[in-house]
Parts: sequence; structure tokens; C-alpha cells
Amino acid sequence: MHLEVLSIYAVELENISKTFPGGVEANKNITLRIEKGEVHGLLGENGAGKSTVMNILYGLLSPSSGKIKINDEEIVLQSPEDAISRGVGMVHQHFKLIQPLTVTENVMLGHESPGRGYNRIALLVTMLFAAFSISLFFSVMDMLSAMIVTTLFVLVIIILYKSFNILTFLLVKLQPHYDKPGVVGYLAKVFSDLFAGLRNVVSLFIPLGIDEAAERIRQIAEENGLAVDPKAKILDISVGLQQRVEIIKALYREAEVLILDEPTSVLTPQEVDELFVTLNRFRDTGKTIILITHKLREPMVLCDRISVLRDGELVGTVNRKETSPEELAKMMVGRSVVFHIEKGPATPGEIVLNVNELSIDDVRGITVVDNISFELRAGEIFGLAGVQGNGQTELIEALTGLTKPKHGQILVRGTDVTGKSPRKMREVGIAHVPEDRHKRGLILPFTIEENLALGDHYLEPYASKKAGVKGFLNLNVFKTNARRLVSDYSIKVGKLTDHANTLSGGNQQKLVVARELSSKPIILVAAQPTRGLDVGATEYIHNVLVNLRDSGVGVFLISAELDEITSLSDRIGVIFNGRLVAIKDPDTTTPEELGLLMAGHVNQTEEVIL
Amino acid sequence: MNQEPITIDEQSNESSRFNQVFDKLQSREFRSTIFHTTISILMALVVAAIIMVATGYDPLSAYSALGLGALLNFDQVLWKATPLLLAGLSVALAFKCGLFNIGAEGQLYMGSIAATAVGYMFALPLGIHIIACLAIGVLAGFLYGLLPGILRAYRGAHEVVTTMMLSYAAVKFTQWLVSEGPMHNPGDSRSVSPFILETAEIGKIFGSPFLSWAFVIAFLCVPLVAFFINKTVMGYEMRAVGLNEEAARTAGIDAKKNMALALGLSGALSGLAGTVEIQSYYHRFYDGWSAGLGFDGITVAVLGRNSPWGVLGGALFFGGLKAGGSFMQTNANVPSEMVQVIQGLVVLFVAAPKLVDWLSKHGIGFASWIKNNPKSGIPSLFSFGYGILCAFLGIVAVGPAVETSFMLLLLGLLVSMGSIAIIVFNLIRDQRSSQITMLISICWFLIAIAGFTMQFVSIGTTSLILGSIGIIIAIWIIKTRPEVIQGQEGIE
Repeated sequence: MHLEVLSIYAVELENISKTFPGGVEANKNITLRIEKGEVHGLLGENGAGKSTVMNILYGLLSPSSGKIKINDEEIVLQSPEDAISRGVGMVHQHFKLIQPLTVTENVMLGHESPGRGYNRIALLVTMLFAAFSISLFFSVMDMLSAMIVTTLFVLVIIILYKSFNILTFLLVKLQPHYDKPGVVGYLAKVFSDLFAGLRNVVSLFIPLGIDEAAERIRQIAEENGLAVDPKAKILDISVGLQQRVEIIKALYREAEVLILDEPTSVLTPQEVDELFVTLNRFRDTGKTIILITHKLREPMVLCDRISVLRDGELVGTVNRKETSPEELAKMMVGRSVVFHIEKGPATPGEIVLNVNELSIDDVRGITVVDNISFELRAGEIFGLAGVQGNGQTELIEALTGLTKPKHGQILVRGTDVTGKSPRKMREVGIAHVPEDRHKRGLILPFTIEENLALGDHYLEPYASKKAGVKGFLNLNVFKTNARRLVSDYSIKVGKLTDHANTLSGGNQQKLVVARELSSKPIILVAAQPTRGLDVGATEYIHNVLVNLRDSGVGVFLISAELDEITSLSDRIGVIFNGRLVAIKDPDTTTPEELGLLMAGHVNQTEEVIL
Repeated sequence: MNQEPITIDEQSNESSRFNQVFDKLQSREFRSTIFHTTISILMALVVAAIIMVATGYDPLSAYSALGLGALLNFDQVLWKATPLLLAGLSVALAFKCGLFNIGAEGQLYMGSIAATAVGYMFALPLGIHIIACLAIGVLAGFLYGLLPGILRAYRGAHEVVTTMMLSYAAVKFTQWLVSEGPMHNPGDSRSVSPFILETAEIGKIFGSPFLSWAFVIAFLCVPLVAFFINKTVMGYEMRAVGLNEEAARTAGIDAKKNMALALGLSGALSGLAGTVEIQSYYHRFYDGWSAGLGFDGITVAVLGRNSPWGVLGGALFFGGLKAGGSFMQTNANVPSEMVQVIQGLVVLFVAAPKLVDWLSKHGIGFASWIKNNPKSGIPSLFSFGYGILCAFLGIVAVGPAVETSFMLLLLGLLVSMGSIAIIVFNLIRDQRSSQITMLISICWFLIAIAGFTMQFVSIGTTSLILGSIGIIIAIWIIKTRPEVIQGQEGIE
């Protein structure tokens, strides 16, 4: 009898360090040991290094130093393919799906296998070509040669069509001779290499086994309770379903270790619960799950053990049963964190924003904002809850001048600004913190000074007249302005002349907020202001918003984070399918009720508090 | 929207400007740019030298003649550089706004024809005439750039298509004007315009037959364009639109207006390029006088990485190449077309800094791997060398048979290209290097067979030798391979 010592660890990362060119130390000497069959949470602020260390495990990055062991085998990963072949699968935060393709096509991508059957058109063309050639032979040559040539011709065609199978057969035959010493072994290797190469080339031309793949996907979906239609196109299915496709992709490649990067950031509360059920089922079948997140609720509900990273280092690994959200937050940030903002009651003043029966169509002519009306007063925070994709983006675009509405009116302090340009909206007093700071908020290659002046750059004192001609910039004003804002908002920067893309996510968001607020607006439209931000930065932004409210600004807050809406807002509106389905008082409503409204379940009896 | 008054600090403005320039020169970005540009030029020169050797010329004498020619005829260098500089600035400015102005040639022509018209049709006092011609030329270029700019900004018509097409239109239109149209020089059999009046000519300087004040004008445009891009509201907005149109729009910038104006200003610079050439050197409009100056402007802008001072450097470099080229032709017997080859190669390498990075990274990695694992490293090195040799010889070996056998030529081409794969696979230490070496050797044997059957004994023997060498190297690699990993060629 012989003893096999099996490791209890599915994955071991030992002393992993990663320094990016440019000097950023993303990971410093991190050691993680993930047990088989556990759900392990990887918690940390943005910039803490969680995605980096998991990308190293997945083969997307190579560590500067350290060892990786999968199933007790130490390996060096050259690419995600190596990781996948060892059973590691990753579901990224930003899905790697191709929108116009179907579920099956996406799942097969990179992992295509040949199928049975032939390409009918290719066959037809071949037959026509063969018919033509054979008749040519018979017309040009004598009977006997023609027949010989025809036979050879047909043989060649058959061999070409079957080349994949022939080559596979030859490779299988050569396999046992591979390890033989001497000339036999060498020749075997040589010819194997050759045939394998040819086989790779041929495999590019043979028909794809889409039906077989679809069948397998159906099987996987059933076994794991992840119902999805293999023939549906990605752009037609919901975000929750898209995430399921990503999970199926990993299972299709027979992943035993599943890494999920911020999986709940795009889901409704109900979809999150469904995901939790799925993950529990995985755990029961013996799969190992690593959950990357910066939210505190999920690890407490789901994980067995939780590792906390901060500033690239491992702070510690704790058992879920022995810890609490407060302790985890403290480990993440390094100090105690306030979860619920202390705020006094609102003292709303005059109406600053009037939206009357606003309707907006998208480029395809579909109504995405359907007759929305609401008011915003000075000194209050009106929060709009709703799952992304229900019209919030278009509503924000209308309020900030980026889209013209089809019908309706937007009034700022009585002035009609419907359909005006973004510059006009700014001049009237609407400031905008966009939901995608990289796409809309900042110009990343610009310096910090240049970004902080964006929007007001054409006004005094940023620009002035020289010799009577307008339009010359005062760059030193850019500098002094930047210096002031960076210190007022505690933005961590290197030099003011660094490019904006050197800042962390939280600091970039602070930059946007600082810039928008420096124009002393009347209304602030804040779209997902803490998306992708860690606990510390989120706390900061929340404080800024409350202070803004208290100083008399009307804040229109749009967020997919229910906790954020409920803790900050003085009134809560819910948007679904482009309609404002309800307006609630945060003191009297519950997350469950809001969740239902966000998903479109409207109560028969409901009180609407205006 | 009131703000606290921010005082303008004149003091810090002065002292910091020098520091700014100094910091910029020292910065990592700048040094990396210089590094990449230099390496690209060097690589281009090396590849051009290889081509020269393969075609029977001596690169050393060619390059020394080139350099000498440029130095001796420095006034020619500056003269050649003038239109390149302006056209380069034109393309670079458009690019700052994210637009590709490849119609510089057409804008150049329109500017020059307009200036020619004013040059001979109106008699104006000295000084005013020159300025009038310049102004009209610039205006013509501006309008000719504004047109595709408006089409792009307000209708989404891609400027690459429109500027290119308008370029052709301009060339043909001006051709008509001076051949059968109203600007044809009466009684002349050539397609030329009348000479411009003397009062419209831009004078030469330093007694040179080529160099004129035009260079000074062009040179002054460099700080002017730099100032515009960095220190004006419009320049700021154009850069914002070029870098992130969405964010610029969100911040209130009128992207459309800026895009249209950017192409307009770009056209104005190209128009100026055409104008000064006519006024300072040609003194009349010849049909087709610009042998692709507009397109050369694009290469200058690429070399200068779209920064005004970089464009100046690029224009001087290409001007030097052009001026030295004719010297090279007479003194080293190397055809001046070689200059265009070098030009093209420089652009190829400059436009691919990633290639430079990749080559240097893998090159160093390869070298250190060989040092650490000599057993498997040495055959790999041989394979690498074999790849370089075959890339060369693939074409050269089948040379004698080129006219008679198409198939041999094809095979030779195949070998050359496949050998590049050998080089690459060895650099990245891919397993398939042995396969490819084997494949190429087989190709050599095929060529040998074909060569012998077609009575080309020389081809046959060379190929036979090369094929055998390849087989030996391939087997050696497989023999010394550290471990057999069936990963990629997995059998189902």
C-alpha cells in the first residue's frame, strides 16, 4: 500500500510580488492558500491589489517573484490557457462577451472543437469543381489515363476532407513511440511535431461543432441551475444572464477553481440572491470559489474564510464566523469606518429643477424615458434607484444637455433649458458627475491641472484677452486652481503635471467631483458617484454630497447601490422601464420593497409621497 | 457662478517656464520618445543597408555620401525642409484634434494656385504683394481644409476619405487651370502658368540659389503652432476633443466646431506650404510640381510624433535625406530612390514603437536564456541564425530562375516569409521553432527537386545544402528539448 499525501489546498500563492514598470508595487509578498471546496473571499479597497493577484493566478500577468501551486503542482503560467487547462476559471467584472454573437458562440470562443457534418456549400462547390475537372480530363486525355487521373483526383479530395481524422490517427499511432530512446524516438518526435502542426492548420478549415457545444451547454446549465438559451444573442439578454454565460464559459472548460471578480456590481438584489444559491451549489459539488469584492455584505453571507488586502499587502485571513463587517472594514481601510452617514434633517428650499413629462427616444426610436415628471428642491437629495439600463442614463443625458428629449420640459429656477447644449446647462448651474469617469468625466491623457480646469476653461480667470483678442489661457491660474482643489479635497497626486491616468479610481473620482463643485452649481447631477470606489473614498464622497445638500444645493443622485440611496436620500424615486414608478420616503420604505419596485413589481396599493 | 478671485502670479510664471521646459526634457516620456525614434532610425538604416548589400551596392559609401551631401549642401537641406515642415505641422495639428488630414497635398495645390493667381494677375506694391499672395494662399488652403472638416463634424463623413478625394480633385483642377484653363501661359506648350510678378517673389538669403525667407516663415510657424496648441482656449479644446471626444462634449466643448476648425487650420498650413514654394523657388505654377510633398508631410508628422518641435526635427531629417540623396547618386552610384526606401522604413519602424519594445525585450530574454541554458540554447541560436539566413536567401537563391519559373519564385517567397516565423518563434522560445525549421527545410528540398528538374543546378545544390542544414538543426533542437509537454498539440 502506498500513501499519497494530498494537499488540502486547491491553490497556493506563495510570496507573490508584482511591481509594474513605472514602479507601482501592486502586490507585496502575498501568500494565499485556498482550501479545496471552500468559498474564499478576497476583500480590499480599489488599488489594494486583489485583481492583480487573481490576474496572476489566471495567467494574465506574471509575478515579479513568488510561486504558484495548483493542486500541489508548482507551475509557471504563460497565459490564461495554461490556467484554464489546470482547472482555473475566471469571471471578470467587465464581461468578456461579444455582443452580436450567441451564447454558444461566446462559450466556444477560444475552445472550438470540430463537429460532425460537413459544410454543405463547400461540398457543393467541391462536387461542381470535381465534375468540371473530371469532364476536362476525359475530354483531353485518352480513356485509360483519364480514369487513372480521375481516381487519383477523387482520392486526393477524400484525403483532404478526412485529413483531420487521418492526422489524428497518425498522431495517436506515434504517441507510444515518443519516449523510446535513440533514432526511433527522435523520428517519432519529429513527425509528431510536423503532423500536429499540419493538424492545427487543417482544424481552421473544418466545420465547427456548434450543435455539439450547444448540447453540452444545455447539460451544464441544467446540472447547475443556470438556465439560459444557447441560441440567444448576448445583446438580447439581461446582465444577470450574461453573467451566467460567463460562469458557464468557465464550467465548459472544466474549471474546478472559479474566480469571480466583483460579481454583484451589476445585479439587482434578487439576482444577487440567485447568484448566492448558485455559488452554494458549486460549493456542494466540491468546487473551489474565490470571490473578489469590496462590498462587506457578501463575504459575511457567503464566504468560509476571508483574506483582506490593503495597499498590496495581505492584512490577514479570518474565518467568517469569527469576524464582523466592522472588523473587516477596519482591516481594509486601517481605521474605523462610519457606515451610516450622520446627517441632520433636510431643509428644502425653493424648487430648483422642474422636470415635466419628459420623454426620450433612443437612436432606434424606442422610448427609453417615458413621461417622467419630478421636482428637485434646493437643499435636498433626491435619489433615483433602479437597475442600470432602465432609462437613467438617457435621463441624465437630457438633464446635462447631451441628448435632446422628444417631449417634455426641463426648467431650472423657472428658466426653460430643454434641449440646450451642455455648455448652456453648465452656465445655468447644473453640474454633472458622470457615471463613467473614464469615458465622460476625465480626459485621462490630460494633466491633473488641465482636467481640473475642464468645463470652465474658457472663462475668466482661466482664459483672458490679450491685446483685445479673446481666448488665451492663463496656465498659472490652472496651476493655482489645481493646487487649491487638490488640497481642499485631499486628492493623492504625485505632481500636478502628472497625467490623470496615474491616479487611482477614488482619486480620479475626487478630481471630477472637485472640478464640478468648483463651479459653485445650483444643481448637482451625481450619476453612480461611488461606482468602483472603496470604502474610504465612498465615505468621503458621501460626506461631500451631504455637505453640499446642507449648503443649499439640489442633489439629484442616481445609483444602483440601494444602500447608498437609502442612506443619503431625503426622497427616493424608483425608475423602471423608463417610468418613474414610485416616490418613497426612506424612513418608511424597505430594501425589499424598493427591490421589488426596481424589478417592476408595482404594488396595487401604494402611497406616493411627493 | 462667482468664484473667489484668483490672483495671477506673474513672478512664478517667469521662473517656472524655464523649469517647465527643463523638466519636460528630463522626463521619462521625452527620453523614451528620443530612444524609440533613434532606434527606429537606426533600424531603418540597418535594413536599408541589408537591402543595398542584397542588390549589390555598398552601404558604407552610400551613407557617407548621404551625410556628406547633406552637410555640404546645408542650404539645400533647409530649402527641402521648408514645405515638409509646413505640411508636417499641418498634419500634426489635425492629429491633435484626432483627425487624419491626408489631403495635405490637395490643400497645398489649392494654396499654391491661388497664390500664383494673385501673383501674376494683380500688380501691387512690393511688400504688400507678397503678403497678399501669402494671405490668399493660406485662405485657399483654409477653405479647402474647412470643407472636409465641416463634412466630418456635422455629417460624420470620415476625413480620410474626403481629404484624399479632394486631394485628387485639387491636383486635376489645377492641372486643368494651367493646361487648358484660364491660367495657362499663352503660347507655351507646357502646362504652366505665367511667371508671378517680381513684386510677389520671396527673396533668397545667404546668396544661396535655393534657400529663401520661406524657411524663416516656416520656422516661425513652429513656435506659433506650439503656442496655439498649448496656450489658447481653442488649442485646449481641440486637444480635449482629440483625446476624448465624449468627455469634451460632456464638459461643454463644442466638438463639431472644433473639429471643423482644426481641419481648416490644418489646410491653411498646407496652403502656406504650397504658397511659399511657388513664391520663393518656382515663381510659377507647374502642373504636378509637388511630387508628393503633402504625403511626405504625413511621414514627417509621424516621425515628429505630432509635436511641433518634433516635426521640425523630422523635416530637417527628411530634408537632409533628400538633399543628400542626389549627392549619393552621383558620388556613390546608389540610386536616389534608396532615399525613399529609407524614408519608408523609418516610418515603418517609428510607427511601431511596440515592435521596438518587443524586439528588445525578447532579444534580451533570448540572449539570457541561451546563456543560462546552453544545452538547448545553442541549437536555438543556430536555428535563429538559420532563420535570418533563409529569410535572405529564400529570394536570392531562386534569383536566376525568376523569369522562367513562377513556381520557384513562389517557393522562394514562401521560404523567406516562413523564415521570419523561425526568427520569431525562436525569439519567443516557442516549441514550434523545430516544426517550422523542419517545414522550411522540406521547402528547400522541394526547391532543390524543382531546380534540378528544371536544369538549374546552382539553385538545386544551394537548396539541397540549406535543406540538410535545416534538418540537422531541427533534430538537434528536438534532441535537446528540456521536456516534452504535450500541452498545445494535445490529442483528443
